[in-house]
Amino acid sequence: MSYAYLFKYIIIGDTGVGKSCLLLQFTDKRFQPVHDLTIGVEFGARMITIDNKPIKLQIWDTAGQESFRSITRSYYRGAAGALLVYDITRRETFNHLASWLEDARQHANANMTIMLIGNKCDLAHRRAVSTEEGEQFAKEHGLIFMEASAKTAQNVEEAFISTAATIYKKIQDGVFDVSNESYGIKVGYGGIPGPSGGRDGSASQAGGCCS
Amino acid sequence: MQEPELHDLSDDSDYAASQQQRELRIMSRTDSGKRSGDNDPDGAEVVFVKDNVTIHPTQYASERISGRLRLIKHGALLFMELRIMSRTDSGKRSGDNDPDGAEVVFVKDNVTIHPTQYASERISGRLRLIKHGALLFMTWIPYKEKIDSTTHCSSSNTKLSEIDRNLYTIRAVPVTDIRSIRRHTPTFGWQYLIIVLSSGLAFPPLYFYNGGVREFLATIKQHVFLVRSVGDSNVFLVNDFQDPLQRSLSSLELPRAVSISNTSTPTLASSAPQIENSERIDDGSSSISQYGGRHGPKIHDPARDLSIQVLEKFSLVTKFARETTTHLLREIQNDGFLANDTKKQSQPPSNDNHETGLNDAQSVPNEISVTPDPLEKPLNEVLWLGCSNNLELRACSFDGKVIDQWYELSVYIRLYYLDGRVLNEFWKETHFEEAATRVGTFELVNSKEFDKLTLVWGQPRQPPLGSEEWATFFDAEGRIMDSKSLRKRIFYGGVEHQIRNEVWKFLLGYHEYDSTYAEREYLASVKKTDYETLKSQWQSISPAQARRFTKFRERKGLIEKDVVRTDRSASFYDGDDNPNVTLLLNILLTYSFYNFDLGYCQGMSDLLSPILFVMKDESESFWCFVSLMERLGPNFNRDQNGMHSQLFALSKLVELLDSPLHNYFRQNDCLNYFFCFRWVLIQFKREFDFEKMMRLWEVLWTHYLSEHFHLYVCVAILKKHRSKIIGEQMDFDTLLKFINELSGHIDLDVTIRDAEALCICAGENGAACIPPGTPASLPIETDLLYPLQDDNEI
Repeated sequence: MSYAYLFKYIIIGDTGVGKSCLLLQFTDKRFQPVHDLTIGVEFGARMITIDNKPIKLQIWDTAGQESFRSITRSYYRGAAGALLVYDITRRETFNHLASWLEDARQHANANMTIMLIGNKCDLAHRRAVSTEEGEQFAKEHGLIFMEASAKTAQNVEEAFISTAATIYKKIQDGVFDVSNESYGIKVGYGGIPGPSGGRDGSASQAGGCCS
Repeated sequence: MQEPELHDLSDDSDYAASQQQRELRIMSRTDSGKRSGDNDPDGAEVVFVKDNVTIHPTQYASERISGRLRLIKHGALLFMELRIMSRTDSGKRSGDNDPDGAEVVFVKDNVTIHPTQYASERISGRLRLIKHGALLFMTWIPYKEKIDSTTHCSSSNTKLSEIDRNLYTIRAVPVTDIRSIRRHTPTFGWQYLIIVLSSGLAFPPLYFYNGGVREFLATIKQHVFLVRSVGDSNVFLVNDFQDPLQRSLSSLELPRAVSISNTSTPTLASSAPQIENSERIDDGSSSISQYGGRHGPKIHDPARDLSIQVLEKFSLVTKFARETTTHLLREIQNDGFLANDTKKQSQPPSNDNHETGLNDAQSVPNEISVTPDPLEKPLNEVLWLGCSNNLELRACSFDGKVIDQWYELSVYIRLYYLDGRVLNEFWKETHFEEAATRVGTFELVNSKEFDKLTLVWGQPRQPPLGSEEWATFFDAEGRIMDSKSLRKRIFYGGVEHQIRNEVWKFLLGYHEYDSTYAEREYLASVKKTDYETLKSQWQSISPAQARRFTKFRERKGLIEKDVVRTDRSASFYDGDDNPNVTLLLNILLTYSFYNFDLGYCQGMSDLLSPILFVMKDESESFWCFVSLMERLGPNFNRDQNGMHSQLFALSKLVELLDSPLHNYFRQNDCLNYFFCFRWVLIQFKREFDFEKMMRLWEVLWTHYLSEHFHLYVCVAILKKHRSKIIGEQMDFDTLLKFINELSGHIDLDVTIRDAEALCICAGENGAACIPPGTPASLPIETDLLYPLQDDNEI
């Protein structure tokens, strides 16, 4: 399928916070509680539409365990967006966010859009991290924030798409040189040519993708 | 003036027999199949004809050679042919009895090629150097059948041999087209030459039964610039100079005295060895009758002649293989593969051939000869035979049976002719290699250099070891007498599932091979107690203690999270509250106390799950897992040093075994080999279905060819897909995704055989790529098995 842009996403966060389930919910619209743990990295992809443009999200779902950090770091390269996930029922996964963020800042490109996701919000009765704490952390670190549930699908679609919308806006604003794929963006067939996209932000100017 | 093309170019065998000078035609060597497309019964069609197409071998007008250029379509293939019509050169017309003005300057009879290892299938002929005007041509025309030794064969075989003879005929190759001549003067056996054309093609080795290598080289030296290679004194390079002026001078045929430096000249020892002794012929014929399937029906058509050049190349390569294989087989023979192998033959027993072991009645030739020593038994390994419209490759197993055959599209071979050098490369790196992996591995270690071409074939996979055969490995008290034979047997076939729970204990090292039934029984009870003791260490932790024991809580939490995410689709582990999942938890948690420094790391549950599935017993699974982790523990080190050392070794192996691929990875910043991370970490657990994965594991655990066979498996899979990887210019991301998605699409048997061949190919050089202590070797030091972990490690 043709797309105007392809965005590379990476999902990071402690083991067991539900990264793979978020991905599966987003790509397959289903929740699979029984799911083999991720070794290394798994891939998912889905087409979305933003501003009437087909955009392909290629999503890298990484292993969360600390031991694999060194290899996970190699996956940041060329990611346009990251979902940083913690589990609202496990405080320690929230406590580790700073170290994840540090990795991301260090190994991803500076313009990577990061979405902080407090997952498992369906388990409100076991909540160990308040929404406000999540919001506060996101605000302090310049992240977009949502609480979501891979099980109920609440906010899953929104999380992925609003991240994409933010990236898209950055393209429109000329933050990215889309011809440089190290930003995690590929211009697809019928996409926007030119070195830095349309600065005027007009959608019609981009043209091309007639889906 | 004679117009050769006006002759009805008769049937090839007649043509060959005529031995006239008429073959002095410059062709792309593709035309011998069909002479006239118009009335070609095989369906060849002339689609283009142009007369007076002229080549200028020198810059002198008098030396131009004109001919008729034709494009002949045959099936999907297009052939180019240039046939000399007239010669404008005014060279001597009056070569004694040569109407075309060619002069024979060298003749040697009984120059023979060995298209297969069977004596009866050797083709003898007459090698000549023919001077025609300024040019020197080389021809090798096989004798008519009655001169050859194939009279012993049945008539159908004779006919086939005739076709073979025709295929191998060398018709008028300008010596200036030769790039190099390699001289082989083995201590025993015949001298032979390998002639490589500048296009990269090689003729099959020409054995000089009656000597004459030196004379041949001396004659060539008089006509072209021949210089001994700096790197190898047995290689003579033709026209090997950069200066184009010199090159054209050379083609002017100015005699020059480039010394074939007078180091040891070829010994003309045993200049006329007995060509065949009767015993050998008998062997050969019986081989043919026994395995006559090798000669499938072949349709004679131009493509055959075209493809034969490919085969010629193979024949050279096959020779390399033969030498390698001989070495290997001798080793294997020394191993004594099967305990019950009967050594009833006077020649070395066929230990390489498991079928012999399984069926003692079967008697097959089994010796691989390096040199054509008539006293040795015929070879019985790989054979490259003819080809039809498509390139047909056949391979024989070690017992001489056809084990596989296939057809490969030859469109690339056609392209090869239109633009030899470039497309030859293309072809080599794609089709042939991929095709060959169906029966073994064809290793183009360095496609640029002939000398490094190596062909080694993984042995055909055997049926898994069954319980009856398994029982034969034990002595009365239960010791395994010949553990190496056992490991070899398992390496080549795996084991049947119902005996896995016994066999794996030995492979993993939980049981000693030389232990007795009684000792193992005793060990089991002791180990069971030991396990319970270890397990009680964490079971006795009270909730109050656990509250003060963060590391324990975290570790337990992590394992609990992971065991429910391990192989839950397998029926053994599926469903809610499956007790086997609890066993996984118990064993992993106990292990994390047994080896507290290492603790628990993701991936361990993947390694444990098949072991528990096979053992069905908690304590035994634990101890088998402990044994496995003795080797694989470093995979899970926090600093990943075990993984890094393996991935580093892998990169060195690829560099050794496939330098173009290595260079590709280097240029694309992929040398960290992280795309193989999952393969190595959990021994391909996620790449195959459960049964195949267990088969691979037991093969790996034999450590038969190497403790690091898994790395060769990595190389084999990568090589299998190298064309795609390089062709699609995959970057790191794409490559990682591609490798990930191979999961479930890897042919295990082919991969193991390829890996086997690679491992043999690499030999000591391969072992040298792998630093000591690299998993799955046992660690060098046992003091500090696992570096101390960070405080916040779980």
